[in-house]
Amino acid sequence: MAELATPPPPPTPAPAPAPKPPANVMPPEKAVPAGIRKVFAKHTEGTLLPNRLWPTDVWPNPWKSASYRRGALVLSALILAGTGAAFFLREIGVPLAALRETLHRFAEANLPQVPSWAAEAVWILAKALVVLHIILFNGLFLVWWERKISAHMQSRLGPIFTGKWHGVLQTAADGIKLLLKEDAAPKEKDSWLHSLAPALVFVPVLICFTPVPWGRDLEAANLDAGVLYIFAWAGLSVLGIVLAGWASANKYSLLGGLRSAAQFVSYELPRSFSLVPLIAIAGSLSLTKIAGYQEGYWFGFFPKWFLFYPVVGQISFVIFLIASVAETNRTPFDIAEAESELVGGFHTEYSGMKFSIFFLTEYAYVLLASCLLTTFFMGGGAAPLPFLSVLPSWFWFLGKTLFFMFCFLWFRWTFPRFKIDRLLDFNWKFLLPWSFVNIVLALPYIYLWKL
Amino acid sequence: MIETHSSSLKTDQMFINLGPQHPSTHGVLRLGITLDGEVIVKAEPDVGYLHRGTEKLCEVRGYHHCVVVTDRWDYVSAMTNNLVFCLAAEKLMGLEIPARANYLRVAMCELNRIASHLLFFGTYGIDIGAFTPFLHAFREREMVLDLFEMVCGARMTYNYIRLGGVMADAPPGWADKTSEFLKYFKTKLREYDDLLSFNPIFLDRTKKVGIITAEQALDWGLSGPNLRGSGVSYDVRKTFPYSIYDKLDFKVCVGEAGSCWDRYYVRMREMAESVKIVEQCLAALPSGDIMAKGVAKIPTPLPGEAYAHVEGARGDLGIYLVSDGTSCPYRLHVRAPSYINLAILQEALVGLRVADMIAVLGSIDIVLGEVDR
Amino acid sequence: MTEISVSGIVEIIKKRYPSITVAEPSLIKGVTSFKASSGTDYLGVIRAFKEDLGFEYLDFLTAVDWKGAVDARGYIMDPNPNPFLPEGAVEQSEVKANPNFQYRDHFEVVVVLSNWKEKLKAAVRIELTRGNPRLPSLYDLWKTADWQERETFDLLGIEFEGHPNLKKILTPDFIQGHPLRKDYVHVKDQYD
Repeated sequence: MAELATPPPPPTPAPAPAPKPPANVMPPEKAVPAGIRKVFAKHTEGTLLPNRLWPTDVWPNPWKSASYRRGALVLSALILAGTGAAFFLREIGVPLAALRETLHRFAEANLPQVPSWAAEAVWILAKALVVLHIILFNGLFLVWWERKISAHMQSRLGPIFTGKWHGVLQTAADGIKLLLKEDAAPKEKDSWLHSLAPALVFVPVLICFTPVPWGRDLEAANLDAGVLYIFAWAGLSVLGIVLAGWASANKYSLLGGLRSAAQFVSYELPRSFSLVPLIAIAGSLSLTKIAGYQEGYWFGFFPKWFLFYPVVGQISFVIFLIASVAETNRTPFDIAEAESELVGGFHTEYSGMKFSIFFLTEYAYVLLASCLLTTFFMGGGAAPLPFLSVLPSWFWFLGKTLFFMFCFLWFRWTFPRFKIDRLLDFNWKFLLPWSFVNIVLALPYIYLWKL
Repeated sequence: MIETHSSSLKTDQMFINLGPQHPSTHGVLRLGITLDGEVIVKAEPDVGYLHRGTEKLCEVRGYHHCVVVTDRWDYVSAMTNNLVFCLAAEKLMGLEIPARANYLRVAMCELNRIASHLLFFGTYGIDIGAFTPFLHAFREREMVLDLFEMVCGARMTYNYIRLGGVMADAPPGWADKTSEFLKYFKTKLREYDDLLSFNPIFLDRTKKVGIITAEQALDWGLSGPNLRGSGVSYDVRKTFPYSIYDKLDFKVCVGEAGSCWDRYYVRMREMAESVKIVEQCLAALPSGDIMAKGVAKIPTPLPGEAYAHVEGARGDLGIYLVSDGTSCPYRLHVRAPSYINLAILQEALVGLRVADMIAVLGSIDIVLGEVDR
Repeated sequence: MTEISVSGIVEIIKKRYPSITVAEPSLIKGVTSFKASSGTDYLGVIRAFKEDLGFEYLDFLTAVDWKGAVDARGYIMDPNPNPFLPEGAVEQSEVKANPNFQYRDHFEVVVVLSNWKEKLKAAVRIELTRGNPRLPSLYDLWKTADWQERETFDLLGIEFEGHPNLKKILTPDFIQGHPLRKDYVHVKDQYD
């Protein structure tokens, strides 16, 4: 403002002031300082600013753009490198089993005073640590990936600066920020429950990963009742969400928590029932056995994945997929944290690390749901075609899981949000009846297979 | 049937204070809502957080200076605000506007309507929970703002339409750029329909929700797309034509049921009509002056009163202007469509759920700068 | 209903409400103005417009304070310095009264109605004394009068009898008085 009032003196002295004009009329030759004229001149040049590109300039042929070509090249190189690495690494289940043998033999030979179960305990601890880190790094990666995918779906770039290459360190930087952030919460909160809630949400999802078969002989534990085990623990998460809503002393949180309880409890049912045909056909509740049952090919080339069982497989898959999205609390089922209605829902009053644990849990559930979809419907680590089994099972498992994770992100950035009553209607009046019908449809399969 | 709320079961009602800081109140609106479970029993909109007293400010400013103030009402479609003030003041002064200026004015207003409806489309998507349409809409809105920037240098508060004409002529190349945009935009309108308008979840959220009947709409004085969504075919551009709208060929888009979706879709179709209008303006753009002769630097109209109203992006935007023969307006009253449309929330929200409330509030499409003035 | 023209409306209203005068020439350009003298007349003529003459839409309701030039003291802090202003030109923030204009100590409420079928507009106006500006509310006719009357009450202090919820709407609670009245002087508050 001050600059406008007292503009800099013009480079050339202004012409001599005209005789005093009448009050209401501007003098013919305006005695306006040069600086001010320039401001107006710039805008009336009538061209777009040079850095302003329109979609109509860019889209007709994106291959013209050097960065587009480079991006495509880098992406294909990355995929090729991953495939190559997998080809040379082979099955890592085999060397890991050898490692375990070595550990046991080493303990027997060198540490006679240590009890025999100690070596197994160390091995279990190591496995638990590995699974924990898978979850943590999954959060790190998935947040970045989600940002990039959502950005590209929306004609944006997403994070681009942090970590030089496509903002790869953005999530890490955010994590550090969340760690250092003040834990701000309302004074009226129930302190104990407020702190307990994130833990109650996170621990079940961690435990749920125990029976997941990451590849051949790569599960943390081969549980005979793996399916029940996962559903039992995953159901506990909702307790933490309701607690978070209750303890926050906020009406939005409370509404979010209660919505979430209704949603979780309802969607557990079709999610479990949709698997009954699969369990009956495979004849086991163990995830490893279910995945193993789907190995092999019909007519020598068509994979025996449960997804491809006519009618029954597809109905199961669709119900399980929808219920899984609902369980992860993401759009279109994110009514518990519906931003435009409930501000943040149950985590409105969480900040810093407590908030980031909720966040981490959400992404861990995405990973879990993708793993389960892969295991139950896409044959786990089975290769899609016989000759492709030169690549190891963990590579295929990872690839399929990534594909499903992409689907989760894709849904999130495409669909609007359901309404709570319609959401429950959809569950009780559509998904659940169809999952029952599906069980009936599966009877002939079971009869034929068992005979 | 089982009664959900049996009279023997006494439950407490919950008061929720929605706003003035809330993601979907579109500014600083506060809604005090009383809930029974998730069902709204009572809703009280509370406005005035953005009240700047612009009507009073205009009383101590010259007519040229008032145009600047008008930009700050409905800052999403400021061109229409400029236009309506200039129309009222020109009625007072009896100015004749050159043809080229008239065509430019209408083209700008219609482009601004597109920009404004695009903002509505984007934010309504967010309200319903779809984030992607927002950025798709902004991508196109950005192009409209670029066009405005080419012609007047500003992207939000244009101050482009002045007493007696417009501030600057369209620069060379502007018409080509605009045609390029319109051609591109027509394909995008189809994309929006695929992305959001006919998405089953979106239809489920908006199609039988927040129904405002035609009688209710007239009773509450709704105007613009909100009124037309209820099936009343009233458009100021057709009923009381101003500027050159009587020479242009366009349709008044009317909804059927008065639901959120009808109000939404009226706006989507209006964008297509605006494209048609801008195309006609570009085709018929005459050459000549852009400013009427004899506009005083400090205009002092004769004592008198004038009322001008235009079809703004949000409805029937009117200005009642009183002059006492001095260089400042003696009294200026804005008939702000957002303000009048907002009042219906008291009635329209009762009996809905919290999620529906957001859908209805979003579909009314208010700009708090205009509500509070 | 048969076709209605401006002269037809004037005839009907004159016949039914002899106390209503029609302003000649029209006060608002292009809008026929009817001046009511009492609150019952005002309500009656507007009801007649709505129910008999097809003016089913309330365009706006507002009021004007005819007291004189605005008292700019108190709320114009610094007039914006204008570098374009030639020497000797009048600063725009100075508000002077027009000596030839008839100011008077009254409020005038202006209501503009629309008949879309016939593309007609009509204004009903009523002058109110400064001491006791009271008027029957139009809430029973149009619910949109609810907020428009509240606004008029808030900014100009005109009280509407029969309004269900007549309280301040735009100005904050600590603002004393009615800012659009011409004699309003701003009292410094915590935000100044």
